[in-house]
Amino acid sequence: MLNTRDLEQRWLRYKIKSYVPYFTILISTVIISAIIYTFLNSDKKETTYIPEKTNKAPTKAPITKEVVLNTPKAPIVKETPEVKSINSKEPPVIISKVQEKKLSNVKDDSLKLAPSLGFMKNIQHATLPYYKEEPTKKHEKISKIVEETQEIEPQESIQEIVVIEKEEEKEEAQQINIKRRDDSNDIRDIIKRFKKNNNPALSLFVAKKYYELGEYHKAYNYALITNQIDRDIDASWIIFTKSLVKLNQKDMAIKTLKKYLESSHSGSAKILLDEIVSGKFK
Amino acid sequence: MSSSIYLNSKDVFLDTVNSKDYIQLDRVSTIYQSLKDSIKKPLKMILLYGKPGTGKSMFLTKLYNDLSSDQEVHIYKTPILDESEFYKTLAQDIFSTKYNGELNFTQFMKIVDSISLDSIPVVLLDEAQLYSDILMEKIRLLSDTRTIKFVITLHKTEKEDLIAKEHFQTRIWESIELENASPIELKIYIQKKLMKANCFDTANMFTNKSVNKIFKLTNGNYRDTNKLLYTLFDIYTSYDENHQLSSIGTTYVPSKLIEMSAIHTGLINA
Repeated sequence: MLNTRDLEQRWLRYKIKSYVPYFTILISTVIISAIIYTFLNSDKKETTYIPEKTNKAPTKAPITKEVVLNTPKAPIVKETPEVKSINSKEPPVIISKVQEKKLSNVKDDSLKLAPSLGFMKNIQHATLPYYKEEPTKKHEKISKIVEETQEIEPQESIQEIVVIEKEEEKEEAQQINIKRRDDSNDIRDIIKRFKKNNNPALSLFVAKKYYELGEYHKAYNYALITNQIDRDIDASWIIFTKSLVKLNQKDMAIKTLKKYLESSHSGSAKILLDEIVSGKFK
Repeated sequence: MSSSIYLNSKDVFLDTVNSKDYIQLDRVSTIYQSLKDSIKKPLKMILLYGKPGTGKSMFLTKLYNDLSSDQEVHIYKTPILDESEFYKTLAQDIFSTKYNGELNFTQFMKIVDSISLDSIPVVLLDEAQLYSDILMEKIRLLSDTRTIKFVITLHKTEKEDLIAKEHFQTRIWESIELENASPIELKIYIQKKLMKANCFDTANMFTNKSVNKIFKLTNGNYRDTNKLLYTLFDIYTSYDENHQLSSIGTTYVPSKLIEMSAIHTGLINA
């Protein structure tokens, strides 16, 4: 008679042995898949990190000064209401100290937040014809924009807002700090991209940003770079001359604008020239 | 199921060559018929070859049993390796001539020439690969005389192929190859074998899954299958005697028991 117990034990040992390769394969597959999963996840985090930041930026960037300057003079930004929306977040403070009439224009617009990344993406993919087409559109709108700028933009108000900001800084220092960091991060990011692809839309954006932040020298430099890459970008010439004015180079600005107008028939450039000459734009 | 069923089933798979245990399978039957037909033809020699355990000896035994009633047939299951002994045995069995002392090929041929037979006797030689090359050459010469018809079986290995090549290539001979069973044939083989011994319950225990498992282990080799199933029913008997049958079940043969049998018989190196 057979010793079934012994045979069963031998069979068990054989079974365990036979499953060893399968277990090895299974464990290695699990480990590999876990590594791949974590690797992919880390990639996702990296990609989603920037949008999060940029989303926060508008909410924590209540600079009305920015807004005021942006809306009328940055035609690249198609969604002008977006920018105005930032205003709407902060109006309580501003209204109290800024002329109500001036802000009423801004208030009237719909409330929308402008995520800076989406904006940047648009710029990144924008091609040069985009700018070339703009002037024709501008011709129709420019008068309105100019009116708005005339009403909203006086430097006094900007100064006042800056004062308000400083007061706010004391109260809500954290908020403002975060905002500024995001802006500079945005700019840094865009400068990086610009260095990679030399897209004039990016350098123009940087110029505009610096102009908005009051760093006119940098704004001047980036506008100049943009002009060197493409001479036909209207907005770039405008930032360029505006920066010159801000850098107390009014004569140079007028001269540059005149020269530019010889080769182009930009309505906004003409209006800006008039404003500089008349002293409306200082 | 009582233990006697398992005992009976076990005995079915005892590795013996008995023509009564011959199981008719379609392919095997066809081969067997062609072998029988070949014997009727005026062929000098018939070569039956295949791997060990493919049923060559069983074929030869079956052929002997079937032919012996109608014609003179002599079967030599164990090879007669001594040349003189071989001639003497043939002289005695076929020509009824008892020869004392050494008998060489020339003397044996004289006997063959001197005695005329009514019909050509058939000599069945099993395990012919064990015969020496010289003796094989003599057998070939003997078959050339057409006085004796030889049916020989060979293991199909490289060496045996060489023998077949050297000795039979230029002769008029028929060669029949026997192969291992397919899974379907194996199932029929197992079940027919069990049913032949009235072990219907155990025959029904062999499902396709269990037969496939057996096939995987034995590669359809009849001898290995017999060994495996003998051990399998031995294990069943042990379980039955220890009243542990309920733990393994009796509706079908579990893979575990087949593997245990394979471990015991050495088909699985555990």
